[in-house]
Amino acid sequence: MKCRSCGGEVSLQDKTCPYCGRVLTETAGHQAEPEQYKKKSEKSKRGLGKALAENIPIVISSVVMLLLIIGLIVANYISENAYHFREDAMRKESVKKYDEYSVLIKNYLAAGDYTGFASFMSYHNIAEYEEPYADLKLLWDITEEYVDLACDVEEALLHGPEARIYSPENYVFNCRMSINDFYSEFKWNQDKIDADPYKDYMYDMKKKANIILETYLGLDDEAREAYLSDSQNKQSAYLEEVILHD
Amino acid sequence: MIKKVVFGISIIINLVLAYFLVGSIKEAKENLEFEYVEQDTIRPDSLRMYLERENYGTAAVLSHPIRGGAEIDDLDMDYYLLGEYADTLFLKEIFVRSGNADTAAACEKRLAEIREKMPDYSELLDKIEQSAKKTVRE
Repeated sequence: MKCRSCGGEVSLQDKTCPYCGRVLTETAGHQAEPEQYKKKSEKSKRGLGKALAENIPIVISSVVMLLLIIGLIVANYISENAYHFREDAMRKESVKKYDEYSVLIKNYLAAGDYTGFASFMSYHNIAEYEEPYADLKLLWDITEEYVDLACDVEEALLHGPEARIYSPENYVFNCRMSINDFYSEFKWNQDKIDADPYKDYMYDMKKKANIILETYLGLDDEAREAYLSDSQNKQSAYLEEVILHD
Repeated sequence: MIKKVVFGISIIINLVLAYFLVGSIKEAKENLEFEYVEQDTIRPDSLRMYLERENYGTAAVLSHPIRGGAEIDDLDMDYYLLGEYADTLFLKEIFVRSGNADTAAACEKRLAEIREKMPDYSELLDKIEQSAKKTVRE
């Protein structure tokens, strides 16, 4: 408590203020019955302890509840974003293994196996749009179109004699689109391709696309040029003839 | 009394939360480990379906992960190899005609390996081979 005269801190045991020397009347009651005050103090302490003891389980339970709720939120967040976490992890792995993967990529390219190259890139989630694989960006763009073309022709034509095909018109549509997309993409990027360090592979891809069209769709150089300059309807009619009626 | 009731309710809520948390952790773990080519219900099922329908080209395209280095579950390996067989036959023709003699030879080798690995499927492999031959227009 404080002295009324000088405001100094005084104890209940003090009879006079140790700072200003005033006789302390406010502590007189306590000094007259110190035992009673002591008991009151003990009682208050016991009451406080009891109240705390009664509330501790609820406090602990509340803390556990809070932790469980945080855990649920974190687990759900991870679950919802697991695909991105996996992708990121694989991407980081591909950066870490750049030397090893570069050799494998070069092997695919040297073999002219561009569908294998695409499968490798996709499976390992290699980010061709950022370092250290950024030099593959244009090659990858052209490869995607080439793979679509090869896969669509393969899907449309390679089936058994008793194959069940439920929507053959999709084959025609997909083939027409992917053929046009590949040659258009190549044409639009011609200048960039010529300046690209991987231009030989891209030209080889075009050569292989020409071979696919000739081997599987009967379009030799002259017929291919005519086909590519035809209208969409004529292109569809030709592909229908080859894919559906042969 | 009220405190006891509140405590009891909080314990029940905690138990329910703990139950959901265990479920969520399990789901998160499964999602983190999820990989299409390792699942026995998605891609292998499609592969099996297309092979049964004799859509060998689609099966070939679906088997591409195996050529990208994917690890395939033993239970699904047969379907992937059948798809790869069809794919390799289709690609071999392109390699032969584009002058990639070494790659074409590697395809031949791979075709022989698959045949050797799958003696029970020789009839189906023959059928795929016949179908692949028919796709080539001379």
